[in-house]
Amino acid sequence: MFYDLIPHLINGVALGLLFALLALGFMLIIGVMEVINLAHGALFTLGAYGAVVMMAPDGGFPYEFMQPYYDLPAIPRYVIALIVGPLLAGVVGMGLEVCLRRTYGADPLYGLLLTFGAALVIEEVIRGIWGSSEYYLPTPKEISGGFIFGDLIYSTYRIYAAIFASVMIGMLWLFLNKTPYGAVIKAGAHDSEMVRALGYNLKVLRLLVFGFGAALAGVAGVIMAPIWGVRPVVGVDAVIPAFVVIVLGGVGSFWGAVSAGLMVGIVVALTAAFLTDWSLLSMYLLLLLVVTFRSRGLAGKASVLEA
Amino acid sequence: MSRVKQSRRGFLKTALGSGVAGGAALFGPWKHNRVYAAASDKPIKIGLTHDASGQFANSGQAEKRGTEMAIAEFNEKGGVLGRKIESVWMDTETNPQTGTRVAERMITRENVHFLAGAIQSGTANAISQVAQKYGCVYFNTNSSSPTESGKNCHRVKFVWDGSGENFSLAAARNAISTFGKNWFLVYNDYVWGQNTNDATKKVAAKFGANIMDEVAIPVGTRDWSSVLLKIQQAKPDVVAAAVGGDDFKVMRQQVSDMGLDRKPAWINNQQDWPDVFGLGADAAFGVFGTTWYHYLDLPGVSDFVKAYQERYPVTRISVPGNVTYNGYIAMRELLRVVEEVGSTDNMKIIKALEGRTMSAADRMQHFDAVIDPASHHVQQTIYLAEGNAAPKDDTDYFKILSWSDPDAIRASADDSCSLESYEATPSYDQG
Repeated sequence: MFYDLIPHLINGVALGLLFALLALGFMLIIGVMEVINLAHGALFTLGAYGAVVMMAPDGGFPYEFMQPYYDLPAIPRYVIALIVGPLLAGVVGMGLEVCLRRTYGADPLYGLLLTFGAALVIEEVIRGIWGSSEYYLPTPKEISGGFIFGDLIYSTYRIYAAIFASVMIGMLWLFLNKTPYGAVIKAGAHDSEMVRALGYNLKVLRLLVFGFGAALAGVAGVIMAPIWGVRPVVGVDAVIPAFVVIVLGGVGSFWGAVSAGLMVGIVVALTAAFLTDWSLLSMYLLLLLVVTFRSRGLAGKASVLEA
Repeated sequence: MSRVKQSRRGFLKTALGSGVAGGAALFGPWKHNRVYAAASDKPIKIGLTHDASGQFANSGQAEKRGTEMAIAEFNEKGGVLGRKIESVWMDTETNPQTGTRVAERMITRENVHFLAGAIQSGTANAISQVAQKYGCVYFNTNSSSPTESGKNCHRVKFVWDGSGENFSLAAARNAISTFGKNWFLVYNDYVWGQNTNDATKKVAAKFGANIMDEVAIPVGTRDWSSVLLKIQQAKPDVVAAAVGGDDFKVMRQQVSDMGLDRKPAWINNQQDWPDVFGLGADAAFGVFGTTWYHYLDLPGVSDFVKAYQERYPVTRISVPGNVTYNGYIAMRELLRVVEEVGSTDNMKIIKALEGRTMSAADRMQHFDAVIDPASHHVQQTIYLAEGNAAPKDDTDYFKILSWSDPDAIRASADDSCSLESYEATPSYDQG
């Protein structure tokens, strides 16, 4: 029995790292700017489509001038896709931040509604450009196919995606904690007025943070595309788990989000294996359980009322 | 000149009397809905209930291309009964509640003559309940749950796709003898998946299969890795999957990514063309059923493909598949029947459709098809196919393995159909 459980636990950890990757950009934006970005899923989708254009000749832009590019080997094209997808999401995210400025300091509902509207607009633009058909993001053969794991076969791409997610988590942590830019971002999350008083341009800071968060959504889109496929509505599948992970981990907590991602991954993987009917519900039940006993999530800061 | 003097009481009596007489003529007690003069030059209006969002958005738009193509062809020939055909389309959102709302609106506010369209069985069932309430003839073009022509059948509903049981019957016997007896069943946890899985289980057991396990997958599942690990641990000979729409696409992608598409053998109940197109032959994994393929070596097929390409030069799905085909054939037959009976009266249409035989040549299939008068299900040729290792071109994904005579694969679920009587079905004619 325990031997049967091991592959599912490992799968849960891999899945959890992907959930954490999904939540990183969401966490950054909500932590620093206190904006619940409901367009996170749409930006995720945009990243995936950007990568498809760079990887697949049938990626919606079959222009002849792209042909020499498509003749390049798969690995350099994949690296370019990993840059272009997030860049596209980041640029659109920065545009969205400009629109959001009027809502700062107002009822949070305005920001929520604006990002929700933006998600619908981005989805329809994607549908207009690429249509509603499915696209497939090809990956280099080095990270494709099956991986022998005892007497089981596991996806090589998932191993790669989990490692990639770990590296991204590590790099983001180093950036936020070991660089002066990260210090400014964190300071902005705690006390934006003080950051402004110290001479930093808060407008630019917010623009860059939102763009960075959106680019992280794009990175997740590129990484998840070969697993989930690429459709205009695929972002809905991303924004909900990201939201669950953030609330479960505690809003604004980096390691809270990572550990919540891992918890959600393991719980979803185990229920999908042994109680499949409950697999989709399990993450919400976990959220309910944690929030019932600890309303600020696993690692959220105590509020004034709780002190 | 004389003046007739009328008292106030007399006027009220006359008005009341006229009102009662007029009201009785219009509203009852007879079961009629909007009976107008039969002869009319107003357009014949068809309500199209195709999905543009949700799980089956892509397939919904594919069948819309089929129904609209048939309508356009009839209009180019002068319409039907000398009348133009108009269509009104509303997105049913792959959602039964929306299906109910759309059908209600189509009938009561848009005054459509007929309804057509469906991919998801839950939505088709919802639409058909509303259609039956009013007596409006409804063509379920593409949803294939055995219950659609079984326990959820209706006098006004006609089901044009093969049912899950047809596909299971076509595949099961071959799969057991070729791949083995140990079967693992995976299905989407909603009406089509559940009923198709029940049908598969029954058929597989009939031919001697051992059902090792069956797993219900919630609709909207995006991670299949745990289920795929579980399948590997169980070591079945065959995995029979009744998974549709976006869930199927995600499953296929992850099965292929894990390299599990060769062993065990996969029997995928039906493979809808829009779910595969653009992804290459590798996406068509396992053995699966379909009602039509654009490279069938039959007269008329290439002309149909050409006509589709001329009508839809920029659509990404550059050749029609089973979903578009079903939509086209169903709409074409409806309009032909209207022409033949010379009326849009629902009872005349229903009676002309019941037991109607459609020749194989006309339908571009291998066997004649017939509309079963007891279930209103089109009994037709079912093709078994697999991914094509030697494609003719970049659209040639399927290799057709065999085709089954409709009599050999008749669904037993159809026997559970109990159609409403003609008397219990409201008459319906929008004139």
